[in-house]
Amino acid sequence: MDDDDMEMDDYNDDFKLNTGPKRKSYEVDYSSLSQTSVEKSMREDVDHICGILGVESPVAALLLRHQAWNKERLIEKYMETPTTVLVESGATVPEPVAAPTPVRSHSVDKSTASPSSSRRATRSSSKLLSSLTSPTRLSFQKSNSISPSGTASPSKSRKDTKSEEPESFVCPICFDDSPDLKQLALDCGHVACSGCWNAYTTSKIRDEAEHSIRCMTEGCALVASDDFVRNILSDAAPAGTDVHENAVAWSRFQELLVRNFVAANQKLKFCPYPGCTNTVSCPSAAGKSVITSIVPTVSCGARGIPGSSSDKAGSSSSGVLQAREHVFCFGCTIESDHRPVVCAVAKLWLQKCEDDSETANWIKSNTKECSQCQSTIEKNGGCNHMTCKKCKYEFCWVCMGPWSEHGTAWYSCNRYDEKGSIDARDAQSRSRASLERYLHYYNRWANHEQSAKLSVELYAKTEKKMEDMQITSELTWIEVQFMKKAVEEVEKCRMTLKWTYAMAYYLARGNEKDLFEDNQRDLEKAVEDLSELLESPIETENIPTLRQKVTDKTVYVQKRNEIVLEDTATGFQDGRWRWNITVDGFEDPLEDSKVD
Amino acid sequence: MDARLRRVNKEIADCKNDKTSNISLELVDNSPFHLKGSFPGPEDTPYQGGHFEVDIIIPDSYPFQPVKMKFITKVYHPNVSSASGAICLDILKDAWSPVLTLKSTLISLQSLLCSPEPNDPQDAEVAKHYTTSKGSFDETARYWTQIYAGGPGPKDVKESRVSGAARDDVAIAGLEKAHVDQFEGIGFPRNKVIDVLRRLNYRGANVAQISEDRIVEELLKP
Ligand SMILES: [Zn+2]
Ligand SMILES: [Zn+2]
Ligand SMILES: [Zn+2]
Ligand SMILES: [Zn+2]
Ligand SMILES: [Zn+2]
Ligand SMILES: [Zn+2]
Repeated sequence: MDDDDMEMDDYNDDFKLNTGPKRKSYEVDYSSLSQTSVEKSMREDVDHICGILGVESPVAALLLRHQAWNKERLIEKYMETPTTVLVESGATVPEPVAAPTPVRSHSVDKSTASPSSSRRATRSSSKLLSSLTSPTRLSFQKSNSISPSGTASPSKSRKDTKSEEPESFVCPICFDDSPDLKQLALDCGHVACSGCWNAYTTSKIRDEAEHSIRCMTEGCALVASDDFVRNILSDAAPAGTDVHENAVAWSRFQELLVRNFVAANQKLKFCPYPGCTNTVSCPSAAGKSVITSIVPTVSCGARGIPGSSSDKAGSSSSGVLQAREHVFCFGCTIESDHRPVVCAVAKLWLQKCEDDSETANWIKSNTKECSQCQSTIEKNGGCNHMTCKKCKYEFCWVCMGPWSEHGTAWYSCNRYDEKGSIDARDAQSRSRASLERYLHYYNRWANHEQSAKLSVELYAKTEKKMEDMQITSELTWIEVQFMKKAVEEVEKCRMTLKWTYAMAYYLARGNEKDLFEDNQRDLEKAVEDLSELLESPIETENIPTLRQKVTDKTVYVQKRNEIVLEDTATGFQDGRWRWNITVDGFEDPLEDSKVD
Repeated sequence: MDARLRRVNKEIADCKNDKTSNISLELVDNSPFHLKGSFPGPEDTPYQGGHFEVDIIIPDSYPFQPVKMKFITKVYHPNVSSASGAICLDILKDAWSPVLTLKSTLISLQSLLCSPEPNDPQDAEVAKHYTTSKGSFDETARYWTQIYAGGPGPKDVKESRVSGAARDDVAIAGLEKAHVDQFEGIGFPRNKVIDVLRRLNYRGANVAQISEDRIVEELLKP
């Protein structure tokens, strides 16, 4: 790509996927695939196998699913023992036996349901079957036609095939004996009525999320082909079944097949957002048990949750939240976006929090006592600058110290002076010190998490403010969007900040950590400033000034966030970060930087 | 007619007509979808002579999803919860097939009583008892059959267990009276002693493995 193209990208900023040459160091190459395009890849694999093994595509699909879409292994195994592979995948029945026996007695006695009653193994048994009776490959039989593998007649005696008199058919599952009953079987010949096949298939898909629809007969391992499933949920569905329910089941079935394919491919991940059927392809994060050089945050590109109340009137603020982009981590399921810290460290941290949750529980609480008058104060916004309603004492929510000492320099609150504290502590208070050290980081971590969660309220408040502003000022709806943008930015940066504390907890002491914490502090200060501004009351005459201020600060916050993310990401790529604990995939810590 | 209803009615009728299997089905609250099944305990097992009742719920998607069954009668068996009657059996879960029936499933329960699967237990404590001291387990299972399933009185059970009409908590827990008396004598409440000894599987050869200190330690826990 040349420079001209790069500039073009600027106009498309909103729509770009992170694949262009302008990718930032904390972004990863990936692409989003719709269900249709994944299905296309599946079809290519199926066609490939058809060509090589000379089987029909429904058989190839079953073979591939059974071998977890590993084409090489499938071909190799098939060359060795084709029959075994076909039987194991449920594509054909085992053991060729010349004459078919009755499938199942009318009285559903268990003794006749032995697995060994399966007959006939044919590589392309569907062909054989259709050559006998059925015009389709799906073994559909009109009522009164002779079942190719014997009928499900009540008699237990072996029936001579091709008897002239059409037998009356009783479905062995539901005992229906209506003359217009449609009989249906897979290639094994275990016949049931179309109503039962339809109900069974629907139940397997809907209740069990199962894409492998096995024959209903106990011990029979034959699996229904996709064509069979489609047919039983459409053309072959008996009159009276819910057309909509059938359609839902068929589309769910297709989704399950795609999920099966995606799960077998390390380069792919299915979007975890409810109701979404997109897939993300991220080859650079594939196949490694631990990803140490990048945080593979990806997005399927879609937004919102289908069927949720996002468009209901009166819930506009939750609407904003529900219309979120489908962001998730390709490397773990810990959290959708845990940048800047890598998956392994994020996981260590969460494990630590879980283990120590008893001790740390009190911190999580949403209320604290005013350190001056002891009245209970509830935190209800994102800002750390608290004012006690009763005594008007101003203090910092994080450290509970007086706000006046923080002033414009909010230093004392993001750093825990390890050197000083270690000197001060004697050996006996080590364990106490290590708990305090943990609590220091946990405190700040939990605070940002809580503040980010409270952003739902902040959204609501902000929207109210935006409405007020339209009324009291000349500004249009578009012009008051700066508030919303600021709120979104604050929330985003709080998530970054939150994870920087997990990272800092495990960073080995030294210059690198100092620089990291400097960047962290600058971002934190910028975020708290903006957050406070957003919660301050609005005076009509000041709106233009406020707008300018908020916009400026938003840009600044964005810049600080960028710096933290960029610097951390390049650090991972250069292998610059050292830990004070053993982390999967990283070098062991130096002896003197180890922390219990 | 509703396919599920037709199928269940047919199954109930088939079961009535079948005199050989000893399996019976009856409606609960006049609903064909809530039934009570029963069968005799299999011969040559500790369950012989007992009459076992099973609660049966037919789900909406029956027979395409498995029937729900649990024992009403208390059963001492590794694959049956001694508290709730819940059953661990593959055909009641993923190995279910729509061609299986209420009758065939009840027959499978009956044969489960013949051949416990202690490696896939529903009740871990009972399973431990089964694997460590089979003789003592059989005795307890027989006692349960006698008091809960109307089984015959014991033939070779110790005198202490038959004396008195009241149910013997020690025998129900599958423990030795002497062991319980010993720790009760120290001053611990009887219920607690039974509870702890049962949990520790203080039976048979295991008794030698567990120190008295360990038991006292457990007994002292709140
Ligand atoms: Zn049927
Ligand atoms: Zn079959
Ligand atoms: Zn999505
Ligand atoms: Zn991750
Ligand atoms: Zn106060
Ligand atoms: Zn502070």
